[in-house]
Amino acid sequence: MIGFLQNLIDALSLGSLYALAALGIGLMFGVLRLINFAHGDLITVGAYALIVPAADATARMFIGAWPLPLMVLGVCAVVVAFALLSDLLLFRHLRRASAPTLMIASFAAGYIIENGILVVYGARPKAIDLWPDLGREMEIGALHVPRLQLVTIGVTVLLMAALTWFLKRTRYGVQMRAAAEDFAMARYIGVRANFVIGLAFSISGILAAVASLLYISQTGGLSFTLGVPLMLFGLIATVIGGMGSLLGAVVGGLAVGFVSSMLQAYLPEGLRSFRDAFVFAIVILILLLRPSGLIPTKALVPRI
Amino acid sequence: MTGSGAVRLIEKYWVVIGLSSIVAFVIVCVQATRNDNLIVTIDEMLIRMTVVVATYIFIGNSGVLSFGHIAFMCIGAYAAGWASCDPSWKQLMLTGLPEFLQDNQYPFMVSVTGAGALSALVALIFGVVVICMSGVVASIATFAFLVIVNSVYSNWESVTAATSSLIGIPTVSSPWIFFAFAVFAMVCAFLFQESRYGLMLRASRDDEVAAKSSAIDVARVRLIALVLSAFLVGLGGGLYAHFLGVLTVDVFYMSLTFITLSMLIVGGVGSLSGAVLGVLMVTLIVEALRALEGGVSIGSVLVQLPKGFQEIGLGVMMALILIFRPTGLTRSREIPFPWQMRRPNVQPRAAAAIAPVERS
Amino acid sequence: MLEVEDIHVNYGRVAALRGISLRVDESELVCILGPNGAGKSTTLAAIAGGVRPYRGAIRFNHASLTGKPPETISRLGVSLVPEGRHVFATLSVEENLRIGAYQRRDRARVESDLERALELFPRLRERLSQPAGRLSGGEQQMLVICRAMMTRPRLMMIDEPSLGLAPKIVDQVYEALLQRRHQEGVTLLINEQSSERVLEFADRIYVLRSGSVRLEGRAQDLRDGVAIMSAYFGFDDHSASSSAQATLG
Repeated sequence: MIGFLQNLIDALSLGSLYALAALGIGLMFGVLRLINFAHGDLITVGAYALIVPAADATARMFIGAWPLPLMVLGVCAVVVAFALLSDLLLFRHLRRASAPTLMIASFAAGYIIENGILVVYGARPKAIDLWPDLGREMEIGALHVPRLQLVTIGVTVLLMAALTWFLKRTRYGVQMRAAAEDFAMARYIGVRANFVIGLAFSISGILAAVASLLYISQTGGLSFTLGVPLMLFGLIATVIGGMGSLLGAVVGGLAVGFVSSMLQAYLPEGLRSFRDAFVFAIVILILLLRPSGLIPTKALVPRI
Repeated sequence: MTGSGAVRLIEKYWVVIGLSSIVAFVIVCVQATRNDNLIVTIDEMLIRMTVVVATYIFIGNSGVLSFGHIAFMCIGAYAAGWASCDPSWKQLMLTGLPEFLQDNQYPFMVSVTGAGALSALVALIFGVVVICMSGVVASIATFAFLVIVNSVYSNWESVTAATSSLIGIPTVSSPWIFFAFAVFAMVCAFLFQESRYGLMLRASRDDEVAAKSSAIDVARVRLIALVLSAFLVGLGGGLYAHFLGVLTVDVFYMSLTFITLSMLIVGGVGSLSGAVLGVLMVTLIVEALRALEGGVSIGSVLVQLPKGFQEIGLGVMMALILIFRPTGLTRSREIPFPWQMRRPNVQPRAAAAIAPVERS
Repeated sequence: MLEVEDIHVNYGRVAALRGISLRVDESELVCILGPNGAGKSTTLAAIAGGVRPYRGAIRFNHASLTGKPPETISRLGVSLVPEGRHVFATLSVEENLRIGAYQRRDRARVESDLERALELFPRLRERLSQPAGRLSGGEQQMLVICRAMMTRPRLMMIDEPSLGLAPKIVDQVYEALLQRRHQEGVTLLINEQSSERVLEFADRIYVLRSGSVRLEGRAQDLRDGVAIMSAYFGFDDHSASSSAQATLG
């Protein structure tokens, strides 16, 4: 029983991380119909922003050494800057492009960012130690839970609440929801296209930044592809949950985290390393059975 | 055959003849430089050309963007590796392989053909799932497929040596052998697109509903294209195994997917000429950037780009093409027959699904 | 107030508008008639900034509109209600109404405008907090008109307000529009397929066919409908009729 609860918290924590990534990707799709393969690379940027830009083997903390609120703001600022830049330089010129063109464009953006990081920081993976205190375990009854996991779950819940409040209770949120639903009509009624899109990229950037901090605190290893697994899982979480639905993104993220953790805990020894393959195979199955996802809002399948 | 009959034959197959001639010309030039590095580059280029042309057969005709072709390259490469590397090594390291592979060492043509066959088989199984899906959903499924294959091959130690390398594959280094395969791929692509399957598939690309209403079994023609495409990509993978001599799984993942897609898109996703010329163009530019990375003196100035600029340059090139010329350098048209006879040029093949229609 | 000069619009390679010119003066109610595919929707879309003409000019109170984005044109006082009742289905009725007013600075007047809209269509008040997608067709049409009115436009353009609605509802819609016009002096430019209603209250009428203006005139002069029908159906198109004769003869 204890073991199961432990696994459950594991699953929740992992699911929260995936939910954060999924929210960032889902938001982009909702507003722009863009599947942002570069989202993972934004997460990578956030992690690398913590250290001094240099190719040294040992990383020296830069923003990572600042006091907590400044550090979080700093990382967010850097990631949001990259996100807005990607819109300004690339996606803005592709507003009327088809979905496949946008997909390849975001793939290209990610490729550029990845190799940019490679140029500046070198190819060697580096180790950093962010918030070592969070690695310690907390005792809840008979459970031993690493603090980081609780923080991850807590932060995700907080961010989701903040995002929901923003979307439902502020003008900008309402405009974003309108734009996500019917972009052309929103513009006719006076919603500023570029502003709303910039907002979407910024929020997406903040989500990526937070995800990167939580992730790097967990893994401690910097490599120029560190964000890719999160992007992959975030993407399938969005797909499973239903693209265009933020609730779907969260549900999808939790579901993927759940399935992944459970597979990790309960798969027989020999099959455990194929866990990712199983998860992705399940995704294909879901796509086959329910292409619009578990919580369909906008179907990816065009209706005649 | 009469004179005009011969000319008519050449005109009919002009696309393949013209493209192969251009590529052959490039090979001859490179061989003349006697620069070993360049020859290696050309070898790799020709293998990629096979893969890109094969990928075009599916993407260009169906309009479905696929991220999974490199997975088939991986399957093909490892199949060739299993077939042709040293049996004593296999018996030691790859204990999971079936006996007929472990105990034998097959010649080049057998291993390469086997590579194509295995990929085609996997494509048949995977394809049955994907062909029912539309557009973006299918693309995501192919992406998932890439991840699955990568995950399986990276972890199945007894069969692929997982994260260590599969070594000892007999190498082949003549560019003309790879050229032959590239031309073979071109011929297959051309024959397919001129066949009624190609026509039906392109109809479904331009308007899926209308095609289905015209009794076109969209799922079936897509499957045919996918299996043919995977067979040729697998061949390319087999070639790659014999080119490298050593295999690791991480080669066949995102980076190579991006490079091959770039080649297709830069050239023009909707035409065979686009696939071939795209490979030439991108290879040329990447090589130029690589030379700059090594340091080139222009006049009295040494120009040197930091390492990693090759890739950034490729990414930027892709971005520029997507913005300014989404139908690619060839505008998704085939190269024209240089001697206009009675009738004007062939119809342009606009790949409407992937690139927006050119504005008038 | 509004001057459209010889605009040409293409969708890809297909010509939708082949040189449309029209004008709307202040406080007028101008109607555009025409069969499907005539270019009525494209004309309104071009004025509102949704499509860009590759030739020609559009001016509103002497300010150029050509090439400006739709959100800017909305702020200049031109509001479009496109055909098909594009409510924001997942937003509540109230959110739909208020979103029209976000570009305005006069907070107090916004509240009173909202009140007035709800007085005009009491059914909307009952459903204020419901998602707009749950409304009936007629209610949605009222909603989108109110939403557009919340932007306080000087010129309101409506694309086929009666499409898909029961006649009684259409009456209500037009009644509300006319009331608003009477009270606020809003200038109206309306697309319609059927000429009956239009002749009742329009000041001037344009008839479009195949992307060009075939007839222009004051409603009172066109009351017998003969000229309209001929322009609408193409009886006046001599080249078509003579080639038809050649084929049949």
